[in-house]
Amino acid sequence: MDIQRLKPHLPWITLLVLVAIVGIADPSFLKPANLLSLAGDIVPLFIMALGLTFAIYIGGIDLSAQSMANMITVVASVYLAPLGIWVAALCILAGFTLGTLSGYLTTRMYVPSFISTLAVGGICFSVAQWLSGNRALNMDATQRNETFGWMIGRTGIVPHELFIALGLLAICLIIERRTTLGRALKAVGAGELAAAASGLNVARYKILAFAISGGLAAVAGLLFSVKLSGGAPTIANGFLLPAIVAVLVGGTPLTGGVGGVLNTAIGTLIVAVIRASMLYFGIAATQQQMVFGLVLIVAIALTIDRSKLRTVK
Amino acid sequence: MPRILTRENAIRWAPFLVLLALVILFTAINPSFLSQRNFARIAIAAAPALMVAVGVTFIIVMGSIDLSMEGVISLTAVLFCFLVLALGGTLASGGWIAIPVILVAGAAIGLVNGLIHVRLKIPSFMASLALGFVGTGAAILLTGGNIVKFDDPTFRALLTWRILGFPLMVYVAGMCLVLAWFIQAHTRLGRHFYAVGGGEELAHASGVRVRQVRLAGFSLAGFFYAIAAILQVAKIGQAESVTGSNFMFMSITSVVVGGVALWGGIGGVWNTLVGVLIVAVINNGMVVIGLPDFLQAAVLGLLVIIAVILSTDRRSVAFVK
Repeated sequence: MDIQRLKPHLPWITLLVLVAIVGIADPSFLKPANLLSLAGDIVPLFIMALGLTFAIYIGGIDLSAQSMANMITVVASVYLAPLGIWVAALCILAGFTLGTLSGYLTTRMYVPSFISTLAVGGICFSVAQWLSGNRALNMDATQRNETFGWMIGRTGIVPHELFIALGLLAICLIIERRTTLGRALKAVGAGELAAAASGLNVARYKILAFAISGGLAAVAGLLFSVKLSGGAPTIANGFLLPAIVAVLVGGTPLTGGVGGVLNTAIGTLIVAVIRASMLYFGIAATQQQMVFGLVLIVAIALTIDRSKLRTVK
Repeated sequence: MPRILTRENAIRWAPFLVLLALVILFTAINPSFLSQRNFARIAIAAAPALMVAVGVTFIIVMGSIDLSMEGVISLTAVLFCFLVLALGGTLASGGWIAIPVILVAGAAIGLVNGLIHVRLKIPSFMASLALGFVGTGAAILLTGGNIVKFDDPTFRALLTWRILGFPLMVYVAGMCLVLAWFIQAHTRLGRHFYAVGGGEELAHASGVRVRQVRLAGFSLAGFFYAIAAILQVAKIGQAESVTGSNFMFMSITSVVVGGVALWGGIGGVWNTLVGVLIVAVINNGMVVIGLPDFLQAAVLGLLVIIAVILSTDRRSVAFVK
C-alpha cells in the first residue's frame, strides 16, 4: 500500500491511535461521559476552525478569526441587554461583513490574505477595546440563561454545544458537497487560474469564502461569550493556533483544494485528544503552545502539495 | 527631459512626504508635538521597533515574510535576562557576555526558521507563524508566566544616559541601521536578497544559491530581532512572555508603509526607517492630540491596507492568495 493512497485516511487513523494510547494509559478517559464533555468543551474552537477551513480550502488564510471572536464576545456582552436574542443576528452580521471586507481586499485590491486579515483583525481589536472600554464585561446571568441558556445545557450526558456543532457541520457539509458554491470553491482551491479561465467568477466565490470564515468566527465568539457569561478584548487569545492546527491536521493542506469541513471535524477532535493527553501525561498547560506550534509545522510539512508551489516564498 | 511625476518617483517619495505631512498636521493641532522632549519620546518608542522592522525588511525584500518576531523577541528577551542574572546580575560582573550570546541565539532561531521554510518547503508566513508560537510557548515555559528582571545601572544607561537629549539606545539603533544599510548596499549577500526578490528563478539561473541566501536572510532577521529584544528590555526594564507582543503587526505595517513592496525586490532599510517613523509619529501624535489609544490597531490596519494597495502594480499581478 503506497503512501499516497494512505494519505487521505491518515487523519482518522491518527485520531484512533491517539485515543487508544491515552485510553490504555488512563482507562477512565474512554468513559462516554468524559469523551462527550471533552468534545463539548472544544466546540467554540471547532466552529472557528470550521470557518477557517473555507479560507484555507481556497488557498488563503484568515488570521483575523481570533480577533473577530474577541470582538464578538464584547459585542455580545454589550448588546445582550438591549437586543435580546437579536444580538446573535448582529454578531453574525458583523462577522460576515468584516469577512467580506477581508475577501474584497484580497481579491479586488490584491492585498495578500494574511495581510488583509491581519489588518481587519486590527480593526476588530480596536472596536473591541472601544466598546468594552478595555475592561472585562459580564453578561446579566438571568438574561443570558433566558436567551442563550439552551446553548450550554446538557441533555443526559450530551452537552448542547455538540448539537450546535453538528448542525453547523451539516450546513457546511451541504454547502461543500451539494451546492454550486461548494463546487466553485473546490475549483478555486484546486487551480485558481484554471477556474478563472473556465469562466468562473473567482473573486465572488473567494469573497464568500472569507465572509463565511468571518461569520463562523463570530458564531464561535458568541458561543464562547455565552459559555463564559462575558467578554473582553483578549479573552479568546490562544484560539488561533489550535484552530489552524485543527484544519491542517485534519488534512486540508495550506495549498487548498482537498480536504474539507469533515476533515476539520476530525482535526478538531485530534486537537482535543492531544490537549487532554497532555494533561494526563502531566504536561503543564503552559507547555501546550509550544507543542501545538511543533505539531503545526509537522502537519503542514506532511499535507502541503508542493507540486502547486513553483517557488516557495 | 525626464518626467518627474512617474509612478516610480511617486512611490519612492510618497512615504517621506506622508511623514512630513503628519508632523505638520500634529504640530498644527498641538504645537507641543514639535519639541525635542517629544521627539526623544518618539525615538525611544521607535528604536526597538526599528530593529524588528529592519530584520524583516531583508525577508520582505526577498519576497518572503516572517511572522515569528513576537515569539523570537519574547524568547531572546527572557533568555537575555536569565543569562545576565546567571552571570552575576550586572554587565560589569560578566553579564556583558550575554549580549553576544543572545545575538547568536537570535540568529540561530532565525536559521531554524529558515531551515523549516527552505528544507521542508513550507511557505514562509506559515513556517514563521508556527515558529513564533513555539517561541512564545518557550518563553512562557522558561518564565512560568512571571516577570524576569535585573537591576544594573550600566545596562539601564541605554535608556538613562542621554546625548543631545536622546538616550543611548537611539544611537545604538542608529548604528545597527547603518550596519544593515551596509549589508544591503555593499555586500554580495545584500545584492542577492534583491536578486531573489526580483525573480527567484532568474536568480537561480544566474548562479545565485537561492537556498543559502534565504537561510542567511532569516538568520540575519533573527539577529536583528535579538537586538530589538535587548533594547526592549532596556526600555521597559524587564522581560516576560509578552515582551514581543504587538511587534509583528507594527513592524510589518512599518516596512510596507515605508514603501518596501510585499512582492519583493523593491525598497530597503531607509524605506523601513521612514515607515517606522510614520508609525511611531502616528502613535505618538494620536496621544498628543488627545485621541484615545484604542484607535491605534485600527489605524495601523487601515494604513497597511492603503500602503499595499498603493504599492501594488495591478497590471503585473495575476492573482493573490
